[in-house]
Amino acid sequence: MITTAVGNYPKVAEGAYSTKLIGTITKWQRKELSDAQLEDTCRGITRAVIQEQEQAGLDVLTDGQIRWEDLVTPVAKRLKGFEINGLSRWFNNNMYYRRPILDKAPVRTGPILVDDYRFASGCTKKPVKAVLPGPYTFVALCEDRHFKAQRPFVLKMAEILNEEAKALAKAGASIVQFDEPAVGFGKTNIALAIEALNIAARGVKAKTAVYTYFGALDGLFAPLMKAKVDLIGADLVSEPKTIQALKRTKITKELAIGCLDARNTKLESVRELHAIFRAVGRLVPLDRLYVNPNAGLEFLPHTQALAKLKRLGEAVRSYKR
Amino acid sequence: MLLTTSVGSLPKPDYLTKARTQARKGELDAKALRELEERATREWIRTQEELDIDIIVDGEQYRGDMVAYFAEYFSGFKTSELVRSYGNRYYRKPIIVGKVGRRKPVTVEWWKFAQGLTTRPVKGMLTGPYTIMDWSFNEYYPSRRAATLAIAQVVRDEAEDLERAGAQYIQIDEPAISTRPEEMDLAIEALGIVTKGLRAETITHICYGDFNAIGPKLHKLPVDQIDLEFANRNFELLDFFKKRGRFPKAVGLGVVDVHSHRIESTDEVIANLKKALKVFKPEQIYVDPDCGLKTRTPEEATQKLRVVVEATKAVREELFD
Repeated sequence: MITTAVGNYPKVAEGAYSTKLIGTITKWQRKELSDAQLEDTCRGITRAVIQEQEQAGLDVLTDGQIRWEDLVTPVAKRLKGFEINGLSRWFNNNMYYRRPILDKAPVRTGPILVDDYRFASGCTKKPVKAVLPGPYTFVALCEDRHFKAQRPFVLKMAEILNEEAKALAKAGASIVQFDEPAVGFGKTNIALAIEALNIAARGVKAKTAVYTYFGALDGLFAPLMKAKVDLIGADLVSEPKTIQALKRTKITKELAIGCLDARNTKLESVRELHAIFRAVGRLVPLDRLYVNPNAGLEFLPHTQALAKLKRLGEAVRSYKR
Repeated sequence: MLLTTSVGSLPKPDYLTKARTQARKGELDAKALRELEERATREWIRTQEELDIDIIVDGEQYRGDMVAYFAEYFSGFKTSELVRSYGNRYYRKPIIVGKVGRRKPVTVEWWKFAQGLTTRPVKGMLTGPYTIMDWSFNEYYPSRRAATLAIAQVVRDEAEDLERAGAQYIQIDEPAISTRPEEMDLAIEALGIVTKGLRAETITHICYGDFNAIGPKLHKLPVDQIDLEFANRNFELLDFFKKRGRFPKAVGLGVVDVHSHRIESTDEVIANLKKALKVFKPEQIYVDPDCGLKTRTPEEATQKLRVVVEATKAVREELFD
């Protein structure tokens, strides 16, 4: 089993790397601090977050997305064509993101996350994965005043994200992950989501992953197994039926299971985690199984987020088939 | 008919905002803070009387977050380290760590204080069980359902105490109800525990969310009046009610947007009220702002309330002619 995180991690930690980011951003917004000073604070926290993941024993790390306002803003604000708008609910959570508005054709004018990736991977000897919003989810979270149609927008975003994914792989990312929580909500055009993923992952010289979380994936795993990506992420915590849906699916790819609740502070026991490992171990060989929390850990206060990572490491180390 | 009211919170005057910060830092004692909270409450009640609002609120000058306030006074909760809500905004999210209960009534003393200042009815203001559950972490109850139903019993006790103290109107806010439409039945069941057999007129306020998903079950909410935001959706909600035939409950009609600095004109509110009168009967409508006004300045809030009253009076007069 390979232990990993999904994406974001608490940006503030009262008992560890402090809450200074809040004041730093406020001052930066008032132009009392320069971009370089903000960057310096973000890098310090990124380094601390990477160290915590190492100490928890994770095999594949993330940069914790310390600079990210949400999943879509970091990408939307660096592309031409978007304006960042008001708050919308972040799926079924009491948390909010800023909804980008597409006014004109989206254009990628240069790398988006490559510098951040290089910094993060330089902080550790362990592999750091690169995370991007998936094209289908990205579009679902935007207001479209340009294409006025889902399909051309999703396919265009797939091309743009493909360029970024290739750049991230070139910068050394051994895994490029696309987050697609939106496929689990509402009437999903899964064929379009997969067509877009195939474009986004095309020619990327790294392992490619698609992560789903929060929603109901019943009926979607079979089509997802046909997507041209290497690794499928499934949240087993939010929706109890998901494990049953997985059991009915012929798993032909590597699997990543979300087995700790990133949205509740209650700490899972080693025994509970072992039971999940056992159940999923019947579906996929353990060397093709990634284990992680069900989503980014930023929903949790820092102490509980770190406790979950440590518990994951502990459960994997003590697991005997 | 067409009684005017407010949704709950009103802005805190500067002196109170400063005092609350000082109290948090330990620079101001509880008694001194309490005096300022009473002063602000007195001022808001006088303002509402001067504006000639029919059903008064105490303005919640002594409350911060609508869930954290109850979590602080109920037993079974503790508070967390900071978690991010969006952008650079963080809050302390309550954690349920034990059986939820109540040492003594939480809101009754303030309600009595406010009602003692006016002969107009003052609403009792509670946060609903589903919202308290959804906006808290849960480490104690085995499920979201178990937590919600346990909280419902405690909120029920509070509602009974308010009624016994003389409250004619009791509002139980459920802004979280639209987060997970699949849990609407749970929210309905829990609210039923709170309101069962109460003689007071019961109200629930619902805001921000996917109205299409919850709308079809709205009439099942076990309250007499459902208060909704109409203004910030350009009164598009009226179409929903128009299509569905006569709505069996009273409707709280939000006619001014609480998120915008712009003060609506009396004429536009009159026009919107007349549109609403094509869908609802006059005796079915209560007129108020979209939501609590606490994010506006005291001046903006007063002006918006004045528009609510003036427009309503103009429409009432036409109806009598």
